[in-house]
Amino acid sequence: MPPKVAKGEYIETDTGNKISRRSQIHGTQHIILGGKTVIQGEAVIRGDLYRTSTSSSASGDQTGQQPATATPSVAITIGRYSYISKQAVLRPPSRLHRGVHSFYPLKIGDHVFVGERAVVEAASVGNHVHVGKDAVIGSMAILKDFAYVLDGAVVAPGMVVPSWCVVGGAPARIVGEVGEGYGVEGAEGGMARERYRLVGR
Amino acid sequence: MSRPFPYAYISCPCADTPVPDPARKRRSKETSHKTNPEDPNVPVPEDYDFEDERTFDPRSPRSNFSLYPPEQLLYCEDCHQIKCPRCITEEIVCWFCPNCLFETPSSMVRSEGNRCARNCFNCPICTAPLAVTTLENVTGGGSQQGPWVLSCGYCMWTTLDIGVKFDKPTNIRTQLSKMTDSSRGRQMSKTFSDLKSPLSTYSSIDDQFPSPNEIRGDEASPINEQLSGPLNPEARFQALKGFYKSQIASTSSSPNDPLADFGAGFSSPGALNRIMSLYTSSSRLGSLYGGTSKKPKSKPPVMREALTASEGLRVPAPDAENALIRRMASDDCGWDGMASLEQRTFQSPDARFVEDLLPLPVLLRTKRSKRCKSCKHILVKPEFKPQSTRFRIRLIALSYIPLPTLKPLVPSPFAGLPSTTPTTAPNLDSLSPLRTVQFLLTLKNHMFDPVRVTLATPSVTPGRVASKVTILCPQFDIGANSDVWDEALQGSAAPGDARASRSGTLGSTEKVAEAGKVWDKGRNWTTVVLEVVPGSLPGGGGVTRRGRMKQHDDGSNDDDDNDDSDADSDANANALDWSGQTKDPNQRLQPDEDVLEIPVFVRMEWDSENQIDQEQSVGKGQNSDTVKRELAYWMVLGVGRISSEMGF
Repeated sequence: MPPKVAKGEYIETDTGNKISRRSQIHGTQHIILGGKTVIQGEAVIRGDLYRTSTSSSASGDQTGQQPATATPSVAITIGRYSYISKQAVLRPPSRLHRGVHSFYPLKIGDHVFVGERAVVEAASVGNHVHVGKDAVIGSMAILKDFAYVLDGAVVAPGMVVPSWCVVGGAPARIVGEVGEGYGVEGAEGGMARERYRLVGR
Repeated sequence: MSRPFPYAYISCPCADTPVPDPARKRRSKETSHKTNPEDPNVPVPEDYDFEDERTFDPRSPRSNFSLYPPEQLLYCEDCHQIKCPRCITEEIVCWFCPNCLFETPSSMVRSEGNRCARNCFNCPICTAPLAVTTLENVTGGGSQQGPWVLSCGYCMWTTLDIGVKFDKPTNIRTQLSKMTDSSRGRQMSKTFSDLKSPLSTYSSIDDQFPSPNEIRGDEASPINEQLSGPLNPEARFQALKGFYKSQIASTSSSPNDPLADFGAGFSSPGALNRIMSLYTSSSRLGSLYGGTSKKPKSKPPVMREALTASEGLRVPAPDAENALIRRMASDDCGWDGMASLEQRTFQSPDARFVEDLLPLPVLLRTKRSKRCKSCKHILVKPEFKPQSTRFRIRLIALSYIPLPTLKPLVPSPFAGLPSTTPTTAPNLDSLSPLRTVQFLLTLKNHMFDPVRVTLATPSVTPGRVASKVTILCPQFDIGANSDVWDEALQGSAAPGDARASRSGTLGSTEKVAEAGKVWDKGRNWTTVVLEVVPGSLPGGGGVTRRGRMKQHDDGSNDDDDNDDSDADSDANANALDWSGQTKDPNQRLQPDEDVLEIPVFVRMEWDSENQIDQEQSVGKGQNSDTVKRELAYWMVLGVGRISSEMGF
């Protein structure tokens, strides 16, 4: 019989985030979790890759205090009920701007699912987005609400995936649309709460 | 199947009824020369009765076209019927570019084509979106000037590869269209209006027909070539189109000519009717003499082909083909220099080499509203703005039919169950045959009325792999989708427990599935237990299966009957071998035959309140405040894949 996962695998924060002890989170002071977010084991979240070109001091507050300066030092924002699977990698996007290589914040919305071994470098990921396992989201890509990235897809850098669109392939193309009922609570695309509940039991 | 196990698909009833599409109507009109075509809706009920008798077979080839994931289905409140993508019509609400998400007015789509007119391009090599980047890496804060290129972040292709740079980072599309003419040695950019020579509007052939000498002169003289210039493909297409239009108009201009009809509908099927009427009228009226006397007078003018470059003719250079071949064979081209077939499909037909490929303006996408095909009521109407994800009207099936979810039931090891039952969650991708697995089927009601549900399933699944299925509680009620707070206020501990048991992982440890009892029940959902004995695969020894089956159910008549019918269906399956691997159909497993799919017939009854559809009840002449409704459909539960090993 395979041994049950040790009871203390997940740390539950005040806002209900369930974070695996085996996850690798760098630069926690630059990461904002919206609450009830799940981060599974061996997931890598690179909060240390924040914009450093300005002199503004990094704020050491984790609970979402936005610095008043024009360049926020928040590297990664994740909304509620989002789910980062095992071995997924979240990296803030970067770009060569005026000869300077700089990082930009990665914003992830609510009810987002990131599959196993997926690499996300998007500029923004909307609500109810599904990123399949082994998918790669290129730098500065934008996934709008209800976008669906199939398993193994490679979304090219800078690509925009409109709402309700299904993309797949390498490089990813729009291959279809999800149904109108996508994202309804409990149905396909609306399983985020259920997923959250099952974690750590 | 495309989804991970377990899944639930719902069959749209339209698969059994002929779709009342206009094409079919037309066909019936044409075949039976009657004035009133038969109403396509008439034979529906008969078919329906016939189909009702059968068990839905998820493996039948027709099922592919009727099974949909629940979230793709809509519901028409007037027809009281599930609507799948086949029984709706779509109307375009707006056009937008999927890259910049800007809307394009439909008038512009009509005139300019359905491609983004801004800066959005796809890579001609790999189809990834192209980005506008500057060539000069200005390290300072100086204003970014200088040439701009389109570059692909996926395959690192840039427009520099085809020698294209842009002066400014905006309006790339117009810049590019200007440049493609000039960069390919075409000195002047020509639009269609420019090319319209006065000649092309002439209707008479003789006016337009140049003498053969002239033509030869045209081709030979380089001066003329430069003057008229070869056109880019779009302009050439426009020129040809205009030319043939004028030709059709001119050849059918004379009023006496019977071919005059062709002018309007040259390519329409109506033309055939007109020809037929021509024959019938001439024979019936007996105007044979008149017809013959007329004919020499009005000899139909002959259509000619395009002759000049301004009409769209392009004569390739005499050695063009040879030059192409030589270039292909040369070392600096090679395989990598050739454009692939896939790349060429989106390019001009002349593009042979990678250097000929141009960036492709992004194809627009649409937002569409959806209507019921039979009653024309709007089912889905999204908001107008391209970026909005809201709907003005959204009648999805999930708000009407209960949402099915299937979960394996994992009994806890402390429950003191027989040792044969597994204590861990069964691996749905390899279910061991002949070992009972229990599943929790949860139906969640989204209607505001309580629903009474009756489930029915064949005790043995259709097909060669006969799995036994029992729904322990086939008839149950689901509560109304009332206020969410009702559940929350009932007690703080209760919802958590309920959820746990519904999810099937933990829950009350002593719980054992009992026949005739629902497993669990919540505010608007009910869970019942489904007992499945996966059948063994044909390759894995049919004899043992038979024996075991007999052992398993020692004897009620009903089950024996099922076994017999199962044998019959086996014979049928052997007779009909669709796979093409006819060597030994008994031994060979056909694709996805090991997938265990259970057809379940769902019949739901509920009393709908009058407030929802008042006119309906008035029309029915019912005076009570509630209307009894029922809805029945097939759904298919994808349970898992049966492994070939026994796994004991």
